[in-house]
Amino acid sequence: MPHRLGPMQTLPSPMRRFAENETVDYCIVGVGSAGGVLIQRLARAGFRVVALEAGPFWDTEKDWVSDEKSSHELYWNDLRITGGTHPLALGSNNSGKGVGGGSVHWAAFAPRFHPSDFRVYTEDGVGADWPISYWDLKPYYELLEREIPIAGPAWFPWGDPHGHPYGPHPLGGVGDVLVRGCTRLGIRSVAGGPVAILSASHGDRPHCIYRGFCLQGCKVGAKASTLITHVPDAITHGAEIRAHSMASRISLCDDGRVDGVVYIDREGNERFQKSRAIIVAGYAIETPRLLLNSACPGHRHGLANSSGTVGKYLMAQAGNVVAGRFDQLIRLYKAPPAHALSEEFYETDKRRGFARGFAVQTVGPLPVAFAKQMIAAMGAWGWGLRSVMMDYNHWATIGVLGEILPWEDNRVELAEEKDQYGLRVAKVTFNLHNNDKKLIEFGKKKVMEIMWAAGAKQVVQESRFAHLVGAARMGNDPATSVVDKFGRSHDIPNLFICDGSTLPTQGSANPGLTIQALAARTADYLIKHGDAIFFSNHRDLAEPGIRYDLSPPYTRFKGIPRIA
Amino acid sequence: MSFVLTTALERGAKRNLPAPLAAVATSILEHLREGCFQRSLCFVVATTSVASGLEVGYEHYKGSYSNPIMYTPVALSGALAGSGLLGVFSGWGARTILRWVSVATLADGIVGFGFHVRGVARKPGGWSLPITNIVMGPPIFAPLLFGTSAYLGLMASYLRREEELPRLGRRIREIAGELAPGYSDWRTDLRYGRFQKHLAKVTVLWAFFSGFEALYSHYKTNFRYKVQWTPVLLAPLLMASAAGATKSPRLANTALPLASTLALIDGAIGFYFHARGIVRRPGGVKKPLYNILYGPPIFAPLLFAACGFLGLMASLLRRERK
Amino acid sequence: MSRKSFPFRSTGGELRDLDQPGYYPGYSTLAQQKSWDDATRKAVTERVEKTPPIRFFSEEEAALLGAVIDRVMPQDDRSEARTIPVLLVIDERLFKNALNGFRYENMPPDQEAYRIGIKAIDEMARSRFKQHFVDLTVHRQELILKSLHDGNPDPENAIWRRMPVHRFWALLMEDCVTAYYAHPWAWDEIGFGGPAYPRGYMRLENGLPEPWEKPEQRYDWNAPVDSVSVLDKEGAPPEHGSLHGHGGSH
Repeated sequence: MPHRLGPMQTLPSPMRRFAENETVDYCIVGVGSAGGVLIQRLARAGFRVVALEAGPFWDTEKDWVSDEKSSHELYWNDLRITGGTHPLALGSNNSGKGVGGGSVHWAAFAPRFHPSDFRVYTEDGVGADWPISYWDLKPYYELLEREIPIAGPAWFPWGDPHGHPYGPHPLGGVGDVLVRGCTRLGIRSVAGGPVAILSASHGDRPHCIYRGFCLQGCKVGAKASTLITHVPDAITHGAEIRAHSMASRISLCDDGRVDGVVYIDREGNERFQKSRAIIVAGYAIETPRLLLNSACPGHRHGLANSSGTVGKYLMAQAGNVVAGRFDQLIRLYKAPPAHALSEEFYETDKRRGFARGFAVQTVGPLPVAFAKQMIAAMGAWGWGLRSVMMDYNHWATIGVLGEILPWEDNRVELAEEKDQYGLRVAKVTFNLHNNDKKLIEFGKKKVMEIMWAAGAKQVVQESRFAHLVGAARMGNDPATSVVDKFGRSHDIPNLFICDGSTLPTQGSANPGLTIQALAARTADYLIKHGDAIFFSNHRDLAEPGIRYDLSPPYTRFKGIPRIA
Repeated sequence: MSFVLTTALERGAKRNLPAPLAAVATSILEHLREGCFQRSLCFVVATTSVASGLEVGYEHYKGSYSNPIMYTPVALSGALAGSGLLGVFSGWGARTILRWVSVATLADGIVGFGFHVRGVARKPGGWSLPITNIVMGPPIFAPLLFGTSAYLGLMASYLRREEELPRLGRRIREIAGELAPGYSDWRTDLRYGRFQKHLAKVTVLWAFFSGFEALYSHYKTNFRYKVQWTPVLLAPLLMASAAGATKSPRLANTALPLASTLALIDGAIGFYFHARGIVRRPGGVKKPLYNILYGPPIFAPLLFAACGFLGLMASLLRRERK
Repeated sequence: MSRKSFPFRSTGGELRDLDQPGYYPGYSTLAQQKSWDDATRKAVTERVEKTPPIRFFSEEEAALLGAVIDRVMPQDDRSEARTIPVLLVIDERLFKNALNGFRYENMPPDQEAYRIGIKAIDEMARSRFKQHFVDLTVHRQELILKSLHDGNPDPENAIWRRMPVHRFWALLMEDCVTAYYAHPWAWDEIGFGGPAYPRGYMRLENGLPEPWEKPEQRYDWNAPVDSVSVLDKEGAPPEHGSLHGHGGSH
C-alpha cells in the first residue's frame, strides 16, 4: 500500500535515505509549520537535508480518524510541567507531534500580522520591535498564501488590506451568529476565511467537505498542513524525513560551530547525525528545551544563550471562548471551526486603556471539548452537565484571540523530572500582567456583546489560551535576543532557529501563516549564501530577495485575480 | 381544425386590444411563425448570456478558478453577449460570428459537463456517495444549462431578420417553393420558423437539467419552504407537455404553453424569494457580494424561467415539414 | 445494591431504563457507520464493543471512584445495557499512564492524584456522615461532591492542602466527559453528527438536519428532586481564579 496523504495524494516513494555516517548539509529538528517549508525549499535548491521528527510520519488514511477522542495522538502528550499565576494547558491546545507538527491539528485560520505588529515597542512603548518590518515579510505572505493556498474574502479590510487566492467558504451556523452579531453592532466582519482550507480542489487535494473535524487532522486533505503541502515536494527532491527521532542534544565543536544532532531513534538507541548546519524548528517549548538540554562547556546556560533569553518571552494568546445559547438550532459541529472573523479591535485604541487588541473568531468545539468548556464556563457537573449537553446543538461559540505581550517572566525552563527518553522535561511558567488582564476583560465583554446582539438567550464564557510563540526571539541586539532577523543564532554561526519561538511579539493573528512565511524567508537567505553558511562566520544581513521558483507544484496559474 | 395557439391569440388580440396594440401583437406572432425574428432573438441571447456569464463568474469564483479552464465560460459569455449584440445590428454578424461563438460555447458547456462529472468523482467517496457529492460537488448540469443562451444564439443565426417578413403574395410563392423537392432541410425549416418539434425536444432536456438542479439544491436546504417544491414539480410537467408536443400538435398548442407560462411565473416568483433570501442572510445587504455568493443562487430561478421561455417559444412556432 | 435517582419529565413520569435519552429519538450515529472510513469505524466500534477490565485501581478504589462517577456523570436514566463506560476508560488511561501533555506544577502525577483524591472523598464521607462514600445516599454523596465542585471541601481534609481541589475536580470532570461524550450513544443523546468522512455535511446553516440526522423533539425534564448538581440559575461559574480551559479551539 502506498503511503496516503488524503484520498488522492500519496507520498512520493521511495524516500532518499542518507547513510548512517554521512554528513548532510542541513539537519532540521522538527517538521512542523516551519520545518516543512524549510526542508522543501532547501531540498529543491539541491541541498542534502535530513529532518528529525519526534513523532510518526502520518499516513492519513490509516492513522487519522474522524473522531475526537482517538485523535489524541496528534498532540505532544509527553510530560511538561506548567505553572505560574495563569498556567497554560499544553498538549492538545498548542503543540503537535508527528510530521506536519501543529499544522496537522490547527484550526487553519491564516490571517497575516498587521504592519503595526512589527513595531509594537515604537508605537505603544510595550513589548518589542521586530528586526524586520511587515513589508519585508509581505512578499512571503503573498507567496505562501498561494502555495498553501489560503481561501478567504476578496477584500480583507484590516492591517495591510489584501485579497486571497482562493474564494471564501460558505458559513456554518456559528459563522452566521458571528456575522449577524457583528453586523447588528456595526462591527465589520469577514465570512468564509481567511483559512488554509481548500474552497476548491488543488492538485491532488480535494475541496473541503465541511465536516468540522479540522482539529482532529483533516483526512480529506483540504485543510493544509505541511505534511501535505510541502513535505511531499521535499521528498520528491531528495530530502529525508526521519520520523520517531527525538533530538536530545546539539553537538558543539571546538571551533564554536555545531556539527550534528544527537537523537534517540524509535528503538531507543542514541544516534548522531553529522551536519554542516543545523536548524532547530521545534516550536516554542521544544526549541528552548533542546537548546537548554544542549548546555555544554562554553554554553553552560544552554546553547546560543549568551543573552540569557533562551526560554524567555514566551507568549500565548488569550483565547477566551464565549458560548451563547439560542432558541433555534445551530449545530455548531458542522463546517470548519474556523470560518468567520473580525479584526476590528486588533489595533491599539488609547481610549480602551490598554495597549494592543484582539480578534474575534469562530470556534467549533466537538462534544468532548464543548463539555469541557461547559465545566469551566458554567461549573456544570452531574445532572446539570447532562442537561446542558443535551442542548449542544443550540449553542454557538465565538473566541477572543487576544494579544498577550512578551514578558520576561513567562518562560520555558528545565524541570528536574525526566521523560521517557531520559531528557529533562520543560517547565513552563506563565503569568498575566496588567495590560493582558485589561485586554482580556475588554475582549471577553465585547464578544459577549456580539453574542447577545446575535440573539443569544444565555451567554457564558470560559478563560483559556491559544497558541504558543516566543522563547527564542529574534532581534538586532545579541544581548536581548537569541537569533538575528534570519533566524541565525547570535552565538553560533551555523545554528539557526526557525519556528514560532523566534517571534518577538505575536499580534492577535493566528501565527501559522507568519511562521511559514518566515521559514520561506530564512530558506531564501540560506540558499542565497550557499556554502558560505557552512564555512564562514561572516554575517551578511542584506535581504536575500524572494525566490519564486522554489514553490511546490500547483502554485503557478492558480487562484483568482485579487483586488490587492 | 383543432385549436391553434397563435391563431387564437391573434383573434383574441384583435377582439380585446385597441387596434394599434392588436397590430403589434399580431405582427409579433407573425414574425415568430415565419422565423423572422433574428434581431429580437439576438437581443435575448445578448441579455441572457450576460446573466449566465455573471452566474458562472461567481459560481467559478466559489471554486476559486482552481483550474484555468474555469475562465473559459466566463470569457465565452462575454463573447456571446458581444456577438449577440452584433447580431442585433448585422445580419452578417448573426450568421457568422454569432453562429460560431455559439457553437464554441455549446462545446465548452459539454466539456464543462465532463469536468463537473469528474469533479464529483474526485470528491471524497466519489460516486459511492452520489447524493452528498452531487449536492456538494460542482453543479453537475450547470454547464449544460449554461449552454441555453448559446443554443438560442445558434438558432438565431439561422433565422431571417425582421424586415425579411414577406408580403402575402410572396409568401404563397415561398410555400410553393418550399414544397419543391430537396428544399426542406433543417436549415430551411429554421429559416422559415418551422422548428417547433425540435425546440420542444430541447425544452424537455433543459427542463430536466434545471429541474434536477432545483431538486438537489432545494434538497440541500431541506425544502424549508413549501414553495421550494414548485420547480421540482413543475419540471416534470413541463417535460411531459414538451415531450407530448413533439408528437401532438394539439399538446403543442395547449399543454406546452400552459406549463411553460407556469414555469415562467414560477421562475419570477423564485427570483423574488431568492433575492429576499439573500437580503435576509446574516449581514444582509451589508455583505452583498458574500451573500450573493452563498445565499440562494439569484440567477437559478431565471434559468428555470428560461425553460418556460423556450417552451413558450416552441408553442408559437410552426411545426417542421414532414 | 442499587443507588440511583431518577430525573423526571415535567409532565410527570420518571425517566429510567431509557435506551436513548435526549431529544433525538430514533437517531443513531452507529447506524451510519457504513459511511465512515475504515480507521474511524474500527476506533469507534471498538469503543462500544470492547470494554477493558479494571487494571489500575484496586477493587475498593474502583467501587469508590465508580460511585463518584455515578454522581458527577450520572446515567441513572439510562438502561443497564446502554450505560456508557466511564470508570473503565479512566482506569485504562491511568493503567497506561497516558498523559495529556502536561501537569500543573502543584499537582501530583495523574495516577497519584486519583488515588489520593478518592481517598480524601471517602475520608470526608466518613468524617461527615460516619459512612463510606459508597454507602451514602445519593443526596449525601452529592453534598460531598458539591463542596469539592465549589472549591470549599466540607469537611476539610488534609489531602486538599496538598492538592488544589479545583484542579482535581477539573481532572476528574474532564476525564469523565472525555469518556462519556466520546461514546456514540452520547452522540445520539445530544444530536451530534458523529464521524464524517468520507461523507461530510450538506446542510451547514440554520441547524438543518442532514438526511440521516433527526430533527429535535424537545420536552422538559428535571433532575431528581433532591439533586444539587443542577446548574445555577444565573449560570455563573465558580471563580477558580486561574482555572483555564483545555483542548484545542483556535
